[in-house]
Amino acid sequence: MLKYSSVSSLLSGWERGGEMAKTGQLGCEAAVGSLTPAKKKEYKVSNRLHEGKRPLYAISFNFIDARYYDVFATVGGNRVTVYRCLEQGLIAVLQAYVDEDKDESFYTLSWACDLDGTPLLVAGGSNGIIRVINAGTEKIHKVSFVGHGDSVNEIRTQPLKPSLVVSASKDESVRLWNVHTGICILIFAGAGGHRNEVLSVDFHPSDIYRIASCGMDNTVKIWSMKEFWTYVEKSFTWTDLPSKFPTKYVQFPVFIASVHSNYVDCTRWLGDFVLSKSVDNEIVLWEPKTKEQSPGEGAVDILQKYPVPECDIWFIKFSCDFHYNAAAIGNREGKIYVWELQSSPPVLIARLAHAQCKSPIRQTALSFDGSTILSCCEDGSIWRWDVVQS
Amino acid sequence: MPGLPLAVRETTNVGCSCSHSRTADQMCRQQSRVHLSTEEQLAAEESLSVYCKPVELYNILQRRAIRNPSFLQRCLQYKIEAKHKRRIQITVSLSGSMNVEVQKQEVLPLHVLLGRPVADVTEHFAVYQLSRACAITTFNQYGKKDQTEANFIIPEIKKLASDARVRNLNIILISNGEPKGASGENHLSLDHEELTSFPNIEGNCLWGKIPIDSLCSSLERCVTLSLGHKAEMLSTVNMHPCSLEPKFLNQNNCMTFSSHNVDPMNSYQVQVSICAQEIGARERSPYDSYSYNDVPTSSLPHIIRLRTGNVLFNYRYYNNTLQKTEVTEDFSCPFCLVRCASFKGLRCHLTSSHDLFNFEFWVTEEYQAVNVSVRTDIWRSEVVHDGVDPRLQTFFYCSKFKRHIRSKNLVQNASHVHPHVLESQSPEAAQEGSHEDYLQKENGTCSSYRPIAYPTDAALLNDNGSYKEEKLQKASFSETHLMSARHKSESFGSENHYAAECIEPDSSSPDTIGVCAATAQASISNDFAQLGSGSNLVPPTVLQFAKTRKLSVERTDPRNRALLQKRQFFHSHRAQPMASEQVSSDRDSEDEVDDAIADFEDRRMLDDFVDVTKDEKQIMHMWNSFVRKQRVLADGHIPWACQAFSQLHAQVLVRSPALLWCWKLFMIKLWNHSLLDAQAMNNCNIILERFQNGSSDPKQS
Repeated sequence: MLKYSSVSSLLSGWERGGEMAKTGQLGCEAAVGSLTPAKKKEYKVSNRLHEGKRPLYAISFNFIDARYYDVFATVGGNRVTVYRCLEQGLIAVLQAYVDEDKDESFYTLSWACDLDGTPLLVAGGSNGIIRVINAGTEKIHKVSFVGHGDSVNEIRTQPLKPSLVVSASKDESVRLWNVHTGICILIFAGAGGHRNEVLSVDFHPSDIYRIASCGMDNTVKIWSMKEFWTYVEKSFTWTDLPSKFPTKYVQFPVFIASVHSNYVDCTRWLGDFVLSKSVDNEIVLWEPKTKEQSPGEGAVDILQKYPVPECDIWFIKFSCDFHYNAAAIGNREGKIYVWELQSSPPVLIARLAHAQCKSPIRQTALSFDGSTILSCCEDGSIWRWDVVQS
Repeated sequence: MPGLPLAVRETTNVGCSCSHSRTADQMCRQQSRVHLSTEEQLAAEESLSVYCKPVELYNILQRRAIRNPSFLQRCLQYKIEAKHKRRIQITVSLSGSMNVEVQKQEVLPLHVLLGRPVADVTEHFAVYQLSRACAITTFNQYGKKDQTEANFIIPEIKKLASDARVRNLNIILISNGEPKGASGENHLSLDHEELTSFPNIEGNCLWGKIPIDSLCSSLERCVTLSLGHKAEMLSTVNMHPCSLEPKFLNQNNCMTFSSHNVDPMNSYQVQVSICAQEIGARERSPYDSYSYNDVPTSSLPHIIRLRTGNVLFNYRYYNNTLQKTEVTEDFSCPFCLVRCASFKGLRCHLTSSHDLFNFEFWVTEEYQAVNVSVRTDIWRSEVVHDGVDPRLQTFFYCSKFKRHIRSKNLVQNASHVHPHVLESQSPEAAQEGSHEDYLQKENGTCSSYRPIAYPTDAALLNDNGSYKEEKLQKASFSETHLMSARHKSESFGSENHYAAECIEPDSSSPDTIGVCAATAQASISNDFAQLGSGSNLVPPTVLQFAKTRKLSVERTDPRNRALLQKRQFFHSHRAQPMASEQVSSDRDSEDEVDDAIADFEDRRMLDDFVDVTKDEKQIMHMWNSFVRKQRVLADGHIPWACQAFSQLHAQVLVRSPALLWCWKLFMIKLWNHSLLDAQAMNNCNIILERFQNGSSDPKQS
């Protein structure tokens, strides 16, 4: 589980900063990290794979099941591939799935598992149909999730209840699914919902009711499903047809943040803070300050900024290790920036560059302890960086 | 009765092993191998009656169309008339030149034209208006017919005798064959590509003529001409030298033949063979003059098949297992008795005018046949089912969406297809074919629905037996045409030499049924009274239906129902796929309001108000919720809504004076805005007072 000690120390540090600014605005000037690498760790390329010509849009380690921390999966085109990271930089291909529709282009994947603990791969893309692959039996799991009216841009798994996944779609909605029963439980859309494509979504690490979503309407919205939790519970015991489940609309978020002035293409919770990025070469850490009395309103306190040069195209996502100590993000030129998340001001752990890695990196994956960094590029290549033991 | 039912098939086929009658047997099979129990026979009879209503409908349409025939019908009528118009075809060929010294290249090429003198013909000067030129390039010999013969068509002999204009016609022969020592005087710009066009000749040449007049008199003497026999005669033509000048008077092709100042060229004689034949009457075959009464019944089917213009119609019914056969003459349509001039015409007519049936067309050397079945997939509201009130049937527009994309399979097949078949098929049919193919693909099977042609080269087929079988498999229609598929494989497996030119299923439906077309006419007669009585059943069912007034899924068109069940439906709000029972249930998800969620949202929004008391929020919420559920939309609804609200929430209001006070205040506000009249407000207060006084039901007092 997340270490809250470091987050709270950070918080207390900012409380002090807040004291100074109490008379005026919230907080004070955000702390911007320095781009000179701290040389705390050194990474070296240990392997490189080429999956094909089609761009790879997502790569992800399986953090859901402790047995499979070294297993990761990639998606690109109509293909989902499962690999295992071995010793000495080796990578073994375990499974590969090809969607029956050759025009499908998967954009995202997430590891989940059903109540029995079978590892599941949930992938979605341009078709808007979410495929669930049972990686244990190597079969497509039950029925695919139909419901989204357009492409699926991101899928995330609730770490506290790994059969719940949430999907963000171009149809301006976010949907909560139960992969165990195949039920669409909630739809986060409507009067207070996103006004353009939803690009990213994330579950709060400890508050099971809370999710954050962001998209092309330049906002980050925080939703609560506390009042709807009975439906989530009902979904686990539902025995009738999934289509008959009383799916509910959640129309109003509890918080709407306008942190960015352009597409917001990735958001992650860091404790109660939110990390989000737009196309202005930086990741921003901010605190949503909701007012108990009036939901939907509130202020944003920008805490820190993690600069990422040449990261000005949309659909570049960052990833964190299991404990959210570090975040890795690729850029348009094929370089990777590894930031220490929980220090203030932020420390750049390493800047990874390779002469042959030139195409945009869409997604990175940090291993459980951050010792391995994987990146998937637009030219269909996968790069593996391993930390150099000193 | 348009056709002649063929009922005596078995006798002809027993023990007959020759390929001819085997194919005939397959074509005209009638329940031969199917043995049915009495119940099944009854069911078969019943399924036969599917034909009644479409045929009735077509009878009605035919009656309406008598005065104003369709364009197709007028075209076909013209074709029939043109075919039966008598005229004489004259074939001119060169059998040799009389003068031995004349060399071949001097005579040839010889242009043969039909001409009429325009000006007065003098000895040395003549102007002819010419038409229809042919060129003969060689002497009569076997083979190259187009180079040795010139064909003209002239009116029939009676007209020749009576019409002076026609009598004036001459067959004109022009030769400008290169004489020895030819100089540049002759300008001949005629090459073989232009043979059929009008020759462009001028300069010095030799010419001769054969007056039609003289031809006519010799033809009149020929008795057998009118019986369709050929009349042949030899004629010697004197070829005179002349100078030729083209003149285009009034844009007509005229030529001036002048023998003034002409170099004395050697005139010579050529022998021309003229062959005349009356056409139009030629279509008659000796069989036609027989009446059927004289023919022994055993050979009847064979003979009537052989007649040109006789078309076999096989009506499929009882799930394609049975068929009835009848024969029509003169390519006439069995449904509306219209003659269609040719098989092609019949095909056009059937597909365009009788689209309630499926047609499969067969053409072989011996017979033309059409397999007919009822299309159940396109039944429109014109065809009224028993027990369905036509007035209550919903109308729907059924259009064929045209798909120009054809599967690769089709393209492959098309490469096997003999080109002439591709031409013969109508574009409509092709489109339909591809459309059907598309449907097929949807169902998961991929097969070709295009018309399929077999190579007409019989030798090729017989050389390689396995190849043809394989090809057949590929070509056979995957669906349900059991009969035709069996027929094909059998007929091709045997050694016969007939080649099915073209098999074209115009469309297909899995459940095709057949019937005798005679039922259309017979619905009036007593024999088929039980079949034709469908129309009489309509009035009682209408009444019955009017009583029940129930329109459920079961009652609607079976086609619509099938579509409903086949399709995947999605919930209008959740976009989740729906089960078929959900689709057909009474619940309509279209304007579903989730009351629980709406209440929740309402409460949350009211919570945002800071300057409103708790009781006020409560009343607001109650009212909002009431208004949403009861759909209080217009100002006029307010008085009713207030009374109903008072009635509904009286208990709660009475118990909490603060709430009651809020409610009364709200009613006063409504009254202020003239939405609530004093009378209604009074009624509300009476209702509430009664509750306050303890009587729960105001209606009792």
